[in-house]
Amino acid sequence: MVYTRRTVWPLVFGIIMVAYAYLVQSGAMGPVIKFLGTARSADEMRILGYCFGAVGIVAGLWQLLAPPKEGEGDYYLSTVGGVIFIMMVAFVVKWGLDPLMAQWGRAAQPTLGFNFASVMNLNYVVMGIIAGIIIVNVFKVPAWAENGVRLSRLGLKTGVILLGALYSLAELAHLGRLSIVLIGVFVLGSVGVVLWLGVRRNMPNSMTGVLAAGVGVCGVSAAVAVAPVVKAKSTEIAYTIGTILLFGVICMFLFPIVGKAMGMGFIQFGAWAGTGILNSAQVAGAALAFQPTGIETLKVAEIFNITRVLFLPIIVLWLAVWYVKREEGAEKVDLVQVVVGKFPIFVLGFILMFALSSTGIFAPAQHYQGSYFDNSDKAMTTKDKEGKPVSTLLGDKDLAALKAEADKVQRQDQKAALQRLIENKKLMSIDDDDTLRGVVNAKIMGKAANDVLTKAHRAVRHTAKKIAMFRDLIAWFFTFGLVGLGMQITMSSIKQAGGQPLVVGSIVGVIKAIGSLIVVWLLVAETI
Amino acid sequence: MAEDKFDRGSALTVFKSDRHEDIMALVLSLVIALLVYVFI
Repeated sequence: MVYTRRTVWPLVFGIIMVAYAYLVQSGAMGPVIKFLGTARSADEMRILGYCFGAVGIVAGLWQLLAPPKEGEGDYYLSTVGGVIFIMMVAFVVKWGLDPLMAQWGRAAQPTLGFNFASVMNLNYVVMGIIAGIIIVNVFKVPAWAENGVRLSRLGLKTGVILLGALYSLAELAHLGRLSIVLIGVFVLGSVGVVLWLGVRRNMPNSMTGVLAAGVGVCGVSAAVAVAPVVKAKSTEIAYTIGTILLFGVICMFLFPIVGKAMGMGFIQFGAWAGTGILNSAQVAGAALAFQPTGIETLKVAEIFNITRVLFLPIIVLWLAVWYVKREEGAEKVDLVQVVVGKFPIFVLGFILMFALSSTGIFAPAQHYQGSYFDNSDKAMTTKDKEGKPVSTLLGDKDLAALKAEADKVQRQDQKAALQRLIENKKLMSIDDDDTLRGVVNAKIMGKAANDVLTKAHRAVRHTAKKIAMFRDLIAWFFTFGLVGLGMQITMSSIKQAGGQPLVVGSIVGVIKAIGSLIVVWLLVAETI
Repeated sequence: MAEDKFDRGSALTVFKSDRHEDIMALVLSLVIALLVYVFI
């Protein structure tokens, strides 16, 4: 089978990308960038435009001129067209539609009374997936790009592995126990409810088993991993995947709206999304939709999501035993072989990156979510626009604002931390920083004093450059993966999710979403 | 995209199995991490 299609489009897209990067570099795009407010992304536009443009031109020429021959080269090189196609859509969405929608949202706010772009979460993540769904269902993915679109899940997995670099051991110790307990209860509970409902509704055991894994653990990969254990047919895997994706899409849109309406914090929403949403990709989508300008929510959601994946071996064992018991005379399954053979390596990759990050090679070892505390004289100096050194110690006005409201702080530890800040004009320890963040969050003092505390916090908290780079890369890998994911959601796959699996999956999904919302709302404190 | 359009992988991946895809993601991530470590 030959995969390479003779087409001019990768070459055309490559030329457009290079031309766009050149226009950005020359300043010709200045007015547009100013209008859209995307000046911060100008370097990204140049670098990604030139890089992917060059790849598109080379691959496009090869695809246009070289006679395709069946083989490894044809198979893997033909994916480049799809990568360029997805990136083209991602560029349009991230640098065009996303800021444009944000502008429209702000412009319509006086008339509508609310910012529709913010309320509906119409950011690049959601629009990327919608763009993918529209392309595949209205225009269809071009034949020359189809093979490459199948690389989108590789992008998501790579993003998940790289995400490990943003964590440190201290951070996992902070969230780990809660995530394991919370996820354990909901994973095991969901699997149990699906098995019970499946039997009650006379679903085939294999269908019930694969759906239980999909709904309970981590969506698509869990369904695929458990399929051999319960002897699931490919149609049943497809039904499960369809159900998970459909329910996950609904969750992805609803969760951020509910989260914002309830005024949830980053950690709370991340914990809820990581627990309640069925599919890994859609967990990332919802977290990024909730907090498109930062990555704190995504990281918490992924910690919970990754914890969920760690339950896979237990679920595999449970379902194997359940299936053998239900299916009289069913062939015995080698449990060890299934667990060893199916455990997702990308989860181990995430743990490996986390271990590397904990050693301090990307940022100081004590870094917390990529940021670290440093109040040394060197770290407390920054540069102004002219390059002159400027101290970030608190000034007389700042100190006056704090002193004026210091009486409102009653707790002894908070009082002491505030006193040390006033005496030294800077935060003296991580504990003081955390303590006074609590004062800001609780709004004990007025706005002026809170602004000073926030300024003091920012002065001692620094983000490692390497971690910042990882953040940008992760955002792009996820954008790539989610646009490609949208291109795989066809109307027929959505229809395929109908019937019993959809009913059972939805019932359990809703129970899980509402149950985890209540538990997270009651148990997870806001600490960012 | 129907699965029969491809004689390898599945509708979701170009790789022969999830394991292959996972290993490729791992290799890609480690290369990126090395580049970030050296150049940033």
